[in-house]
Amino acid sequence: MEAFIQPGFWIFVLALAGIYGVFSLGLQIQYGVGGIMNFGHVGMMAVSGYTIAVLVIKYQWSFWWAALLGVVLAAFLGALLGLTTLRLSGDYFAIASIAFAEIVRYWILNSDDITGGTQGTLAIPNPDGFGGYTDQPDVILNWISDRLYPIIGDEASRDLSMVLVVWPFFFLFIWISSRLQKTSWARVLRATREDDDVPRSLGKNVFRFRLQTLIIGSVFGGIAGVFWALQFALLAPEDFLRIVTFYGWMILILAGASRVKGLFIAAIFFGFLYGATRFLEFWPLSLLSSPERAYLRVFLIGLVIVLLMVKRPQGLFGKRQEMILE
Amino acid sequence: MENTNMLDSAVLDVRNISVSFGGVKPVQNVSFTISENSFTSVIGPNGAGKTSLFNLLSGMNKVDSGEIIFRGEAIQSIHAHKIAQKGLVRTFQGAKIIRRLTVAENLMMAVQGNPGDNLMGFLNPRARKSFEAKAREEAMRRLDQVGLTKFADEYAGILSGGQRKLLDLSRALMADPKMLLLDEPFAGVNPTLVEKLLTVLAALRKEQSITFLLIEHDLETVMNISDRVIVMADGKIIADGLPNSIYENDLVIDAYLGSRRKDA
Repeated sequence: MEAFIQPGFWIFVLALAGIYGVFSLGLQIQYGVGGIMNFGHVGMMAVSGYTIAVLVIKYQWSFWWAALLGVVLAAFLGALLGLTTLRLSGDYFAIASIAFAEIVRYWILNSDDITGGTQGTLAIPNPDGFGGYTDQPDVILNWISDRLYPIIGDEASRDLSMVLVVWPFFFLFIWISSRLQKTSWARVLRATREDDDVPRSLGKNVFRFRLQTLIIGSVFGGIAGVFWALQFALLAPEDFLRIVTFYGWMILILAGASRVKGLFIAAIFFGFLYGATRFLEFWPLSLLSSPERAYLRVFLIGLVIVLLMVKRPQGLFGKRQEMILE
Repeated sequence: MENTNMLDSAVLDVRNISVSFGGVKPVQNVSFTISENSFTSVIGPNGAGKTSLFNLLSGMNKVDSGEIIFRGEAIQSIHAHKIAQKGLVRTFQGAKIIRRLTVAENLMMAVQGNPGDNLMGFLNPRARKSFEAKAREEAMRRLDQVGLTKFADEYAGILSGGQRKLLDLSRALMADPKMLLLDEPFAGVNPTLVEKLLTVLAALRKEQSITFLLIEHDLETVMNISDRVIVMADGKIIADGLPNSIYENDLVIDAYLGSRRKDA
């Protein structure tokens, strides 16, 4: 249990929480405001993460320009998903969105020439013809660490640099999103969540509102992909399994889908759950090997979602009244 | 010249519209003209095609054939939200309110031309806020009209059935309609509230020159307020005239009571 009193552990938790937090911001506006059930959100993160890896390794782009294009592509893909399937009603769209993210993942898995296929971005050849690796994320994060070192000494780490990059953005995005959710645009969107016909009969182009929402959410997904690429530098198709989308959903449900401001606390809770399981070395969990214990998080996260649904469906910060109105 | 005059007085001109869903033909060759500032009721038994007719007029469903001319413009193939923007606004059977918006928000949502409805408006907070303040003011005025002021900032989901009807009507009015299509506004409403709704409608007609087309089950209820009654049965118009004349129409009596007299 000593792990939990190390600052390093908590900094890792925060770095993870920041990335997943930004990721879940996308789901929050889509589902919490627009009622759009997107189960393929991970696809946006995959697209932007891989766009960065390919451009940086194969074409020697600068990380930041590649990041910009990654987010633009994620937004574009959100638009494509919306234009083709958003006219489907709730559950049907949810299913289509899962299929969409799987298409993205399978494409990555099978396009060896571009993405490195099963071996991940390590197999993307750089211009010299060698296996692909980029030190750009390290260069960026180490640049920050080097500046922290004189102030805090050995506590300056790659993870801490990551936290310092991600969290200001995370808070900025929460602020922007909460402002956006106070506009009359969001009011119409909330109406579409309950009933399409009413806003339509009052002159609102429901499809446009929903499509815009899907794209905004996809931008957040894409930005999470940028942070992911920065944190992990190497990407593989199995980083973008369906379960990742549901990690985002857990954060959302924990915070309460309609309350964007509580999201960061739920994200930290998730980061802890995700990071802590491998350190739970007391009996009987000590009977399991470390990688086996890592799978515990999946069970724990499932358990948390079920308990919340039963005991507190509005989440930690939601209003109970919103859940019981008929 | 004469033609223009005709268009001016006719707000809505429905020409031979039909729709079918599989084997069901809810609206068959229906034609009628509604003149400006009039009050017309569409009555008929269950399954007569009244709501289907409204769905066609409001663009929620599209006609298979025929034309719908609203204020001189063919609207049968344009999107529902564009029809509403042109001033042809409908309500729904059973008062569809948005439960998880407040009562005031339900009304403010309906305002047309709100710069804040557009994402670009996000970048212009000043225009957004001044519009919002005006919308709120108008919403409060509407709420005062129907006696719902004290619920303004409560979730609409807490309102009773009758209050929802009042909110639904007020919301349609917020959309600045030239013509209102009301789908059974009196169904399931107690007699006192029916009286109140009728008073509100009569007052609106005087003050705002809105043209009304209303669906009702029961001829009695709309007898006094209507200038004209259209009776539908089996997807067709079977009678059309002054409210009093409808009472004496054999076809209408058949439609409502079945064709017993013929059998006898």
